[in-house]
Amino acid sequence: MDYFRPLSIEEALGLAQQPGRLFLAGGTDLSLHMREGRINPLGLIDLGKIAELKEIRLEGEWLEIGSMTTFYDLGQSDLIRKQAKALWQACQTMGSPQIRHQATIGGNLGNCSPAADGLPPLLALGAEVELVSARGRERVLLADLLKRTPLLESGTLIKGFLIPLQGWDSGFAKLGRRQALAIARLSTAFALKRQDGVALEVRAAFGAVGRRAFLSEPLAQSLSGRVLNESWLEDAVKGSQNAVAEALGSRASAPYKRVAVGGVVRQALKTMLGGGNHDGD
Amino acid sequence: MEIKLEVNRKHYILDVTEDERLLDVLRNRLGLTGTKEGCGEGECGACTVIMDGKTVNSCLVLAGQADGRRITTIEGVGSRRSPHPVQKALVEVGAVQCGFCTPGMVLSAKALLDQNPKPTDDEIAVGMSGNLCRCTGYDKILRAVRKASEEVAE
Amino acid sequence: MTQVIGNGSIREDAWGKVFGESKYPADFNRPDQIYGVVIRSTQAHARIRSINVDKARLPGVITILTAEDMVYNRHGVLFRDQPVLAEERVRMIGDPVAAIGAESLAAAKQAAALVEIDYEPLPAIFDPEEGMKPSALPLHPELFPDTNILYHLPIRRGNMDEGWTQAEVVVEREYSTQMVDHAFLQPEAVLAYIDERGHVVVQVATQYAHYDRGEIAHALGLKNSKVQVKTTTVGGAFGGREDISLQIIAAMMAWKTMRPVKFENTRNESFYSHSKRHPMKMYYKTGAAKDGRLVALEAKIIGDAGAYTSWSPNILRKAAVHATGPYEIPHVKIDSYAVYTNNPYTGAMRGFGAAQPVVAYESQMDLLAKELGISQVEIRMRNLLKVGSTTATGQVLTESVGAEACLKAVLPYLTGKEGRV
Repeated sequence: MDYFRPLSIEEALGLAQQPGRLFLAGGTDLSLHMREGRINPLGLIDLGKIAELKEIRLEGEWLEIGSMTTFYDLGQSDLIRKQAKALWQACQTMGSPQIRHQATIGGNLGNCSPAADGLPPLLALGAEVELVSARGRERVLLADLLKRTPLLESGTLIKGFLIPLQGWDSGFAKLGRRQALAIARLSTAFALKRQDGVALEVRAAFGAVGRRAFLSEPLAQSLSGRVLNESWLEDAVKGSQNAVAEALGSRASAPYKRVAVGGVVRQALKTMLGGGNHDGD
Repeated sequence: MEIKLEVNRKHYILDVTEDERLLDVLRNRLGLTGTKEGCGEGECGACTVIMDGKTVNSCLVLAGQADGRRITTIEGVGSRRSPHPVQKALVEVGAVQCGFCTPGMVLSAKALLDQNPKPTDDEIAVGMSGNLCRCTGYDKILRAVRKASEEVAE
Repeated sequence: MTQVIGNGSIREDAWGKVFGESKYPADFNRPDQIYGVVIRSTQAHARIRSINVDKARLPGVITILTAEDMVYNRHGVLFRDQPVLAEERVRMIGDPVAAIGAESLAAAKQAAALVEIDYEPLPAIFDPEEGMKPSALPLHPELFPDTNILYHLPIRRGNMDEGWTQAEVVVEREYSTQMVDHAFLQPEAVLAYIDERGHVVVQVATQYAHYDRGEIAHALGLKNSKVQVKTTTVGGAFGGREDISLQIIAAMMAWKTMRPVKFENTRNESFYSHSKRHPMKMYYKTGAAKDGRLVALEAKIIGDAGAYTSWSPNILRKAAVHATGPYEIPHVKIDSYAVYTNNPYTGAMRGFGAAQPVVAYESQMDLLAKELGISQVEIRMRNLLKVGSTTATGQVLTESVGAEACLKAVLPYLTGKEGRV
């Protein structure tokens, strides 16, 4: 196996032209998959030395997040806390301190585990993904990207994420078998554009429910344009239960998850609606 | 392939294999066996080291990813003559039993206190949440970190 | 007299541990050592038709051990019913079948993957109650020719008819507990070598060094005095290091090759290679008089011994002795059984059989309290063993019975009203 340490995106894309090579982000999943023999790449292209991929910044109407930003960096960022609360919350609880120091948001998408903690918040926040390859650049809604199979053409690098700055509130919650180090059994993120006590627009995302994280369009529509009150909240809970039941079908986990999602959604909504402050817990 | 490492303030240039882990480099090439392998998949924290000021599981870091980085292992923290407050507190509180988790616990606690010398109990719990102990039930370990933080803050 | 109780003292070994100086078995190496890997059964119960190691003889492979290499191929803490390496039969997933020694761990692993084992699957028993049936195939006919029940302890006290007559309420329930792994944090590892005296030295984290020595010597056909077991720092055990794991295989490989041999389990291998806590199925029928006094208990406890005996008789004995809990009951009929199955073998783990019945007898107390309309605390207070009580096994307690004082001491910390917790 070859191991490359490119210093620029261009260099990385050049190296990726050869077949059998994989981009290495934080590696917390990739290195394990290699040890287990689940993948046997001919080469690894370590993205760790490309500074450009580690930036978090405001760019016009967008919040830009480089793909090699770690969960720790995101969880420490004031910009993320203020502009992308659900993502900030997810970054506080993913894995353990050691994992958060190493795992990256780009790797979370690239590996695309059903339980990837970073994806429901990005979906709810309406994030777009910037992809680059030798063939060129592409900007695509994360929600659309997640419908593709395979997720990424070979040689495609996830450069970063762009979250529209629209003043939405958002909240995240997950259910794990224990608090730390637990892979999410269920996660949800909601985002909301509100005015004068009315939910103008809503997005609702779920993780660890089915193959990949997804946005529920019917749920979003049923909750949009309504007064934010107790019955809105109860409908959000019921709608989430229906969305999860539908997504899981007859899977063994369905009876448990379609009930459990109620509590998880309440928790996410509570952090999102709690007085409308953006300053975290 | 060649990597440059700074481990416990010593500089190394090492020839490693591409699939080698930082844990293997430390234990097998440098003989630093204080770093333990408990699970090999980032669950237990026994292999915790500090890399550029932040804890990582050395079983999940490929040697190439550690290139150019500054590593602190348990061998680089404290000494019998001058133990780190965390080490002293763990001993005094009775938070050490089988000891296999202890090096990782020391490094997580040290990294936490380096960054946040006066953590709340919740912050201690979060800071230590990536390290498993099967003997103690954690209570004494958390008490030891609290005790060490009081000493550090003085 | 030195005051011990209430005085903290510093563990002698704590300083070495906080500096990372303490050496666990994987921390030892010797020049010229070879690396061992064990090949384990993928079948719960099967006859081995053949083991073909031809493809595994790769460059760097020094030796391949099978049962034929052992002088005496059996070990076990109570009965020597566990093969060091499988003979004609495997009885559980994880049974060691062969071992590779190579110049590097990578070579050993590569070779291990090339050993071909031809299994003929046999009907497997996973439920001890199935294993108890007369029709079940005995798993250790050399020890128990016509049954899988390797242990039965009956305990009788008083007169059951009288007991049930006195009972105002009777609660009858079934309980079961699950298999548990110790998951000690340090996976098994061992370094074996031949020293300057020509003795076999085995460095290992063990709970039972003198027993290990005897079993190693026995399997290798050596005198005890030719075998030395050095206990390193032990990274947790909780009962899981009482049986032999890698010791004999490593010792034999060193003896055969005259080179130091190192084995180091991954966590995954560790799960396959040591004992587990006994799952127990517990049938409980408990009667109490109107005033809350327990009058009768009938209990049947079935422990899943898994594929080998290990400590099962002692553990099911302890389960039976503790079946009444810390309560005095005048009329008692208890039967405990240990039964072979093709599950992972079970052995010592914290509590040693006393932990599982708690689930049953304390649940029974709560249910009886509810039936009688008294509090959960009250029913316990009325039945706790005291000085002068007689246990189900007929022991008269003459001193140091702290149950009542203990419950009274913790009461203020229990939440809720009327002793409901």
